[in-house]
Amino acid sequence: MILEMIKAAIFSILSNKLRTFLSMLGITIGVAAVIAVVSIGQGAGESIKERISSLGSNILFVVPGKIGGVGGRIAQAVGDVLNEDDAVKIKTYCPSVSHVTPVLQRQYNVQHGDVNTISSIIGVYPEVFTMLNLEVEQGRTFDNNDNGRRVCIIGYGVKEELFGEKDPLGESLYIVTPAGKQKFTVVGVLKPAGQLLMFRPDEAIILPFKTAKNRIFHTKQVSLLMVQVEEEELTAQAINELDAYLFAKFKDENMYNIISQEIILSTVNETMKILNLTLGGIAGISLLVGGIGIMNIMLVSVTERTREIGVRKALGATNFHVLLQFLVESVAITVIGGIMGIVLGAVAGKLIGNIMELSVQVTPGVVLVAVGVSTMVGLFFGVFPAYKASRLSPVEALRYE
Amino acid sequence: MIKLEEVTKVYRMGTEEVRALDGVTLWVDEGEMLVIMGPSGSGKSTLLHIMGCLDRPTGGKVFIDGEDISRLSDAQLARLRNSTIGFVFQQFNLLPRMTAFGNIELPLIYAGIPRKERIRRVKTLLKRFELENRARHKPGQLSGGQQQRVAIARALANEPKMILADEPTGNLDTASGKTVIENLVRLNKEGITVIVVTHDPEVASKGHRIIYLRDGRIVGEEVK
Repeated sequence: MILEMIKAAIFSILSNKLRTFLSMLGITIGVAAVIAVVSIGQGAGESIKERISSLGSNILFVVPGKIGGVGGRIAQAVGDVLNEDDAVKIKTYCPSVSHVTPVLQRQYNVQHGDVNTISSIIGVYPEVFTMLNLEVEQGRTFDNNDNGRRVCIIGYGVKEELFGEKDPLGESLYIVTPAGKQKFTVVGVLKPAGQLLMFRPDEAIILPFKTAKNRIFHTKQVSLLMVQVEEEELTAQAINELDAYLFAKFKDENMYNIISQEIILSTVNETMKILNLTLGGIAGISLLVGGIGIMNIMLVSVTERTREIGVRKALGATNFHVLLQFLVESVAITVIGGIMGIVLGAVAGKLIGNIMELSVQVTPGVVLVAVGVSTMVGLFFGVFPAYKASRLSPVEALRYE
Repeated sequence: MIKLEEVTKVYRMGTEEVRALDGVTLWVDEGEMLVIMGPSGSGKSTLLHIMGCLDRPTGGKVFIDGEDISRLSDAQLARLRNSTIGFVFQQFNLLPRMTAFGNIELPLIYAGIPRKERIRRVKTLLKRFELENRARHKPGQLSGGQQQRVAIARALANEPKMILADEPTGNLDTASGKTVIENLVRLNKEGITVIVVTHDPEVASKGHRIIYLRDGRIVGEEVK
């Protein structure tokens, strides 16, 4: 019986192709939007998590003020609190910490010959290379003997941009600061490293800390402190030690913040969840609109086919048969629309993923949910028209012109 | 077979009450061919609809095979229509988007008969009404006479005990009308109770009994 109903529904859908297709489109677009948004969201989330995890869970950051705090001005005010001295003291007072480096970081214009680009100038201790597992492809890293000297290690992207095919070792480049141009000699090129949360080594120029401080930044304050914990298991303990030191110094826990991979991950997870829910919700609204379209077309169809309903009842169709017939029809429309939407959404997701360089995955879970939801939409918005059809009195339906 | 006791049917048209049937008492025997005649608006079709369980009376009782149909649910009435009653309409009332085959098959689907058996029965019916090479045609591609033959075949699909026909020749030319009448007479001879509403004296002449209706009442009866 159900099989006959489905056949009849498909038959009826086929005999009104354009109209059915148009009302199907609402569902298709809705489902496509959900699929695309969710899979792009998942892809983006994965890639962000990957970047965070690539830091290693034993790296901590000490940053001034509260993350996402009360606004720019306050962040600025508390920005003047950390300095190089803190790095040295942390190393002394926090036994779980194996390495610390202060970090100076800002964007500047960089020139070589007639080529110029904007890149991130980072001033750090030599420890940073071991802490972040950065390796050179050419030349060398710097050590403490270089501190104060005008040498720099450039990221792979910077090399490509400024020097192209030319060998950059021993070449000089200029960093343009408001106080004037500063000349540096390239002594090393980093291997491509991708994104490391707060840094993009590929697009960075790394200077010895003292050099950066004296030649470029001209300030005692540092952007942040990067801390490596002796062993991963000691991370929690290290956070406590850092907190003890910093609280002793500032007497105010709002003046500083300790960030671990875990904290960032959980923040990112929260943010992604809210983002996905919001986007999913918006996409869901388009499904709702699509559903209303289906209901509308089904109501029109019921009115148009009043006489048919009368005939069917005269031939022995029960109210339930008629209800089922129209319900199967609306569900068939939404399911077919949903399947088209899945295909469309997957393709759109992949395309957008390629453009955004994300690995977009259409998981079976998403597909299942999409099919489930479109079936539910069909049922929900089909019930009223179908019920209306089933309640028609056979005589009145037969008389209907 | 069918027994009506003091049946009334009242419609409400706005504020006005229309008494389509006003105390009709009637007995139809098994195997009988009954003709109902009367002017337009006399309640003929209403009477036929009530006998065919398409409508419920406002007052009085209707028995089919001894069963009081006012006690039956809508679903039970639908099953009764499906299994024991076949309808033939003036407008044919074939489903326009279905083929002749599909139209005849429909009551069998509602009866829950398996596909193989359905195909067998529909083919037999098509053959019987000389419609074999019209099986894949839609109603729009058939002549009036052919459409009415499809409709009769459809009415017979579940081997009903009675056929109710509402002006079956009303939309047909004389020759096609004649074929339809012949078919109805033949079915009656095979033992099926036939009840026909008509204006057509040709049809009326074939009945065992004619009742005349006026203003919802039986005003005359003629037995042959």
